Amino acid sequence: MKGNGVLLANYVPGTSVIHRMPLWLKFLVVLACGMASFLIVDWRLAAAALALMCTLFLFSGAGPARLFRAVRPLLPVLLAIGLFQWWQLGAPTATRIVLNILLCVVAASLLTATTPLHRLLDGVVSLARPFQRFGADPERFALTIAIMLRSIPFIAGAFEDVRDSARARGLERNPRALVLPVFITTVAYARHTGDALAARGLGEPDD
Amino acid sequence: MSTVSLSDVEVRVAVDGLPDPKVLLQDVTLSLTEQRIGVIGANGSGKSTLLRLLNGLVAPTGGTVTVNGSDTVRNMRAVRQQVGFVFTDPLSQLVMPTGREDVELSLRRSVRNGPERRRQADAALDRFGLLHLADQSIYELSGGERQLLALAAVLAVEPDVLVLDEPSTLLDLRNRELLRRTLAGLRQQIVMSTHDLELALDMDRVLVVESGRIAYDGGAAAAVAHYRALCANSLEVPRGRNVASSVDPSGEDAR
Repeated sequence: MKGNGVLLANYVPGTSVIHRMPLWLKFLVVLACGMASFLIVDWRLAAAALALMCTLFLFSGAGPARLFRAVRPLLPVLLAIGLFQWWQLGAPTATRIVLNILLCVVAASLLTATTPLHRLLDGVVSLARPFQRFGADPERFALTIAIMLRSIPFIAGAFEDVRDSARARGLERNPRALVLPVFITTVAYARHTGDALAARGLGEPDD
Repeated sequence: MSTVSLSDVEVRVAVDGLPDPKVLLQDVTLSLTEQRIGVIGANGSGKSTLLRLLNGLVAPTGGTVTVNGSDTVRNMRAVRQQVGFVFTDPLSQLVMPTGREDVELSLRRSVRNGPERRRQADAALDRFGLLHLADQSIYELSGGERQLLALAAVLAVEPDVLVLDEPSTLLDLRNRELLRRTLAGLRQQIVMSTHDLELALDMDRVLVVESGRIAYDGGAAAAVAHYRALCANSLEVPRGRNVASSVDPSGEDAR
C-alpha cells in the first residue's frame, strides 16, 4: 500500500539541545503551549509564540520538510475553521484561533520529532504509574498509544489505495466503493495487529 | 530440544450460512521433537491453523496442544514465552515505526531497564546485520530486510521454538536464500510451513497437510515426493472425470 509508508510522529535522529532535553521538560512545553492556546487573546502574541516554536523546531535540526509534514494534513480543517470564525467573530479572532491550534500542533510535533517512540512510551508508562492503584496497567497504556500512532497513517493509506482502485474502475463517485473496502481493510488490519501482539505475548490481561 | 505435542486435535469454526461448523483440522496427533520440521500442503489445507495452534493463536476445539508440557490454552502466557511466531507478511507483524523500536517492544516485558533494553535490541539487530537500519522506517526497508527484522524481533526474547508461517512467500530469490541460511544457523527448534519445496527439503521431518488431516509424516524427500504425487493426482482427476467418469458406457451419469 503506497499510502501506508507515511508515519505519524516519526522521530528525526539528532543531537541538538532539544533532543537531549529531559522528557518531562518537553512534556511541560507541550502542556504550556496547550494552556497558552486558551490564555493568549491577542493574535500578535499567538503569532509570536508560534514563530518561537517554529524556530525551536528548525533549531532542533528536524528540518522544514518535517515541520510542513506535521502541519499539512490539518490545513483544510484550519482553513474551514478560520473562514467560519472570520465570518462569526472577525479576522483578529479567527487568526488567533488558527495560530493557537498551529502552536499546539508544532509543539507536539517538536516533542515527537526529537524523542524516539520508545522514550515517549517510557514517559507514558511513568505518567500512568499512579493509576496502577486503580487497576490501570501503564504498559498497556503505552502500547495503546503506540498502536494508535501506527494505525492512523495505515487507515489514511488504505483510503488512498482504495480511492485509486475505485478511480481505476470508474467508481470514484460511489461512496460504497470507497467506504466499504476501507472498513474491511481496517478490520483485517486490526485483526492482524491483534494476532501479532498476541503472538509476542504483548497486551495480555496477565501481562 | 523442545517437545511440541498435539493429541487428538480438532479445529472447527462456525461459518455464516452453513448449518454445520467447518472442519479446519481433525485427527491430528503428533509429537514434534526434531529440530527442523516443515509443513507443506495446498492453500487452505490447514497448514496455518496447525501452526497457529502451537503458539495459542488458535485454540483447539477438541484435543490438547502442549509445548514442553505447557498447555496452549491453560498456560498461554508460558507458551508464548517459549514459542515465537513469524508471520508471512512482516508488515502485519512489525508494530513500531522503526526496527530498533520494534525489537525494543518485544523486549519490554522481559527487560524493564531502558538502556539495557536498547543494548539487547541493538545486539539482536546486529546479529542479523540490521543495526545500520535500526532507525530507518520499516516502510523504507526491502522485503528481505523486513522479514529478517521480524525474525530479529521474535528471536530477541530467545524463544525455544520458532514457528514460521510461509516466511519466504513474499521474498525474491536472493532474500529467500538469505532467510534459508539464517534459519540454518539458529539453535531454536523450527516449525515452518512453506510452499518452497527446496526449503522443505532442508528439514529433518516434513508433514504434508491435506484437507485438514496429516496426509504424510516422515523424511523430507519422501514427504515432498508424496506432496508432488498428491498435486499431480488432484490435477488429473478432473481430466479423467471428463473422459471416463462423466460419461458412463451404459449411458447413465457416473458418480
